[in-house]
Amino acid sequence: MTPPDVNVLSLMPVLVVLLTAVFATVLPFYTTRRGIAGLCSMGLVVALGWTVALWNQRLSSFGGSYVADNFALAFSVILILAGIAAIASSADGIVRSGSFPAEFFAVMLYAICGTMLLVHARDLIVMLIGFEVMSLGVYILTAFQARQQSEEAGMKYFLLGSFASAILIFGIALVFGGTGSFALEGIRAALAVAPANAPIVAVGALFILIGFGFKVAFAPFHQWTPDVYSGAPIAVTQYMSVGVKAAAFAGMLKIFGEALPSVGGWQTPAQFLIALTLMIGNLAALRQTNFKRMLAYSSIAHAGYIGLAVLSSPAQAYPAALFYLAAYALMNAGAFAVLNSISPSDDGIKVDSLAGLGSRNPFLAAMLALFLIALAGVPPLAGFMGKYMIFAGAAQSGFYGLVILAALTSAVSLYYYLRPVALMWFTEAKGFALPDLSSGMSRAVMVVCAIGVVLLGVLPSLVTNLVSTIGVFASR
Amino acid sequence: MNWVLNAFIFLPLVAALLSLAVPKAARGKFAVFAGIANLAIGVYIWLSGIAFDKFSTVIDWLPGLGVKYAVSTDGVSLLLSLVTALMVPIGLYYLTSRDDGKLSAFYPLALAMETGILGIFAARDLILFYVFFEGTLIPSLFLLGRYGRAARVQALTTMALYTVFGGLLMLVSIIGTKLLSGSPTFLLEDLLRGVRQIPEWQQVWLFLGFLVAFAVKTPLFPMHAWLPEFHGQNHPSGVADLMGTLYKVGGYGLFRFALPLFPDVANNYQWIWMLLAAFTAIYGAWIAFAQTDFKRLLAYSGISHMGLVALGVFSLHPAGSSGAILLLAFQGIYSSALFLVVGMLERRFIVLEGGDESKEKALDRALEIGRVRGLAASAPAFAGVALLLWFASIGVPGLAGFIGEYSILLGAYQANPWIAAIAVTTVIASAAFALTAYQKTWYEEATHSVADLSRREWTVLVPIVALVVLFGVYSAPALELVKPVVAQLYGIVLEAKK
Repeated sequence: MTPPDVNVLSLMPVLVVLLTAVFATVLPFYTTRRGIAGLCSMGLVVALGWTVALWNQRLSSFGGSYVADNFALAFSVILILAGIAAIASSADGIVRSGSFPAEFFAVMLYAICGTMLLVHARDLIVMLIGFEVMSLGVYILTAFQARQQSEEAGMKYFLLGSFASAILIFGIALVFGGTGSFALEGIRAALAVAPANAPIVAVGALFILIGFGFKVAFAPFHQWTPDVYSGAPIAVTQYMSVGVKAAAFAGMLKIFGEALPSVGGWQTPAQFLIALTLMIGNLAALRQTNFKRMLAYSSIAHAGYIGLAVLSSPAQAYPAALFYLAAYALMNAGAFAVLNSISPSDDGIKVDSLAGLGSRNPFLAAMLALFLIALAGVPPLAGFMGKYMIFAGAAQSGFYGLVILAALTSAVSLYYYLRPVALMWFTEAKGFALPDLSSGMSRAVMVVCAIGVVLLGVLPSLVTNLVSTIGVFASR
Repeated sequence: MNWVLNAFIFLPLVAALLSLAVPKAARGKFAVFAGIANLAIGVYIWLSGIAFDKFSTVIDWLPGLGVKYAVSTDGVSLLLSLVTALMVPIGLYYLTSRDDGKLSAFYPLALAMETGILGIFAARDLILFYVFFEGTLIPSLFLLGRYGRAARVQALTTMALYTVFGGLLMLVSIIGTKLLSGSPTFLLEDLLRGVRQIPEWQQVWLFLGFLVAFAVKTPLFPMHAWLPEFHGQNHPSGVADLMGTLYKVGGYGLFRFALPLFPDVANNYQWIWMLLAAFTAIYGAWIAFAQTDFKRLLAYSGISHMGLVALGVFSLHPAGSSGAILLLAFQGIYSSALFLVVGMLERRFIVLEGGDESKEKALDRALEIGRVRGLAASAPAFAGVALLLWFASIGVPGLAGFIGEYSILLGAYQANPWIAAIAVTTVIASAAFALTAYQKTWYEEATHSVADLSRREWTVLVPIVALVVLFGVYSAPALELVKPVVAQLYGIVLEAKK
């Protein structure tokens, strides 16, 4: 009997996070919540170190079901950084709504563990396990507060999410039935030679698209997003809108870019979904009066932009999607960190109450303005470069119509992103003062995100040089 | 890699960042000195002769995607850059005389804008151009938003939406141009090489993408609606309007990018573009006639000028193109200066009324044309300088405006006599509205008496007046700069006609 193919080194990033999570589950009996938060941050930093150390090595385990290639590692960096940012800004939430139980951090780490497993997987079953671990963790986090909105959001997310998972599993089963393989390479190979079961595989691909489309909030599967995003604690929303989205997109890119590119039948629906997502996300965000809900809808719109990368050819699209997600992670995590530190409750704030923030709290207002301008895609900040790369990739693959639609809708997005900026800096306060709950940690997160947003905008080659080959690897 | 041009572009931005560390009281002086130092670099570039690619920098910015950081300068870029570098310190110097302690953010924002505008003129890579083109919007919006009047938020929203809407369509066109032409990079020279093989119907769409963006920034009818609001709501001193005037780079964009890239489209549908431009010119002058607010009047008169600039560019004729660039450059001097004159008037009228600048009604009254009349009696020198600038703006021979307008009409006549005939009426119309406004304000029976020019105002206006007269009688230095570039463009157009 041969021993199982386990290369512990390749597993280290995930293992470190998992072990930290286990400790964080047990230790609250013996130490303070602050200690647990510190432990979890440390664990994530160590995992980050391992991720960087494994760069370019392409180690694999479990017969190729789990591969720590640069694609996975690059996404892991985003996921871990998003996790650290969320933990840092959850400290502000504690100031506001009393203590979270310390298990909060443990569950958060389990969710991060799931996302990392998802990006490392090259096998539909492993991918599904990661997907489910991530989802279960986030369901719990969403419902973590004893508030009606939070519980309602958790329940809604859980019920709809389970349904989406079921569809995803059905899709995976159909693809397996059509190709006889769970491994991405196997599926690709099977499809290359014998497209006999084409209809089954096509239906399976469509179901997988729907399952993932739910998680990344493609319209019309987005309806949960505003309620869940605005009901969940802000630090959780921050992680959901960045980490979960990045992981789910990584999964989508792998499945559709590597395993199923030759299957017909999913591309056209995907184009419709993306077009719809772009329009609904941006137009609905226009009408929001609650800042948190506005960010939720705008994150739907961003899913549409990243979705363009799923359609494009991997060599171009993978680096573009990665860059976009990295930029988006910085901008969005920063914006949510600011929101978290100025919200009197986890319901977020009215957009109008931002009026005059610039004169009362210049630091937070300047940070928020920077993140919003970057999210709107104004050069020379990171959001613009991300959009440019996505547009260029999609245009190269011939999706001119979608690119023009994306350009027009991002002009729309400027309106709802710039309105808060205008309110903060160009109008006087109207009596109602927002609190400033920011701790040193969350301020540090904002500054780091801000530096990243400027740096990635001005010198994008810092990232693109590193990741330029991740798509080539994949299409090998 | 040449540091001089990069220093010229980025010195204002660096100064803007540094000025944040300067005490608020000294910030104005610091910004003026930075502006003057920058002008000195510009003059150095001019004097050292802009031989071919002498000041170019081309380095990879996004390798693999063909995006380069490529800046260079030639006669046209240099002329427009010099005007910018000259007007910014003048404007900021005037601003220091009105500094009430609340303007400390104005200086860094204006300097940041200067970097953006200089970058627009120097960029030779289309993505880099786009970055400067749109990036300049941010400081511009903040100037309007921080220092504008009551309805500023609406005005800045309109401006931002117009600009970004057009800009993003241009971005799509830029990406499309590169892909369809098979060019390895976004460098203008690489794109020029491959662009002719694109089928014409695709060229038309790509051209339209550029046209929309530049029509917003020129502005051309029907994309002009943001401009009157922009000027009407900006800071009463007129310095922000001066920056806005310098930021009207649509004519340059058409000349530099849209025409050389798509000469066939420009040629085959020439009468459409020329008609659009001529109509803009007349329309602007016509609406200006009905304005009762000084700034809105100048805004519409600017639209009218820009219509002429576009007409010259679209004439595809050497005389017309040179005229367009000269008019664009010189109106950057005298139109900007007229905004400062309005700022000086507003200051006097506010004092007359004993009004408060933060009150909307007081500002409305202060900027109303014809409420205060007959200033020439009490402020003769001011009246003389203002008349000179108005005359320059109408295009009276002997002043800087004439050479540009005349050459444009000459070029347009060669291309399409009928449209040129329509456009000529603009000159008459603009004389009508300008002189009516002038007469109401300065002549007629004196209703009030005001102070004549102060020493600081003299300092602001003297270099401007000197240049307006100098280039009116001797425009050769400017023409020498523009000619070779225009000849090059004309070569491309001629080749396309074959």
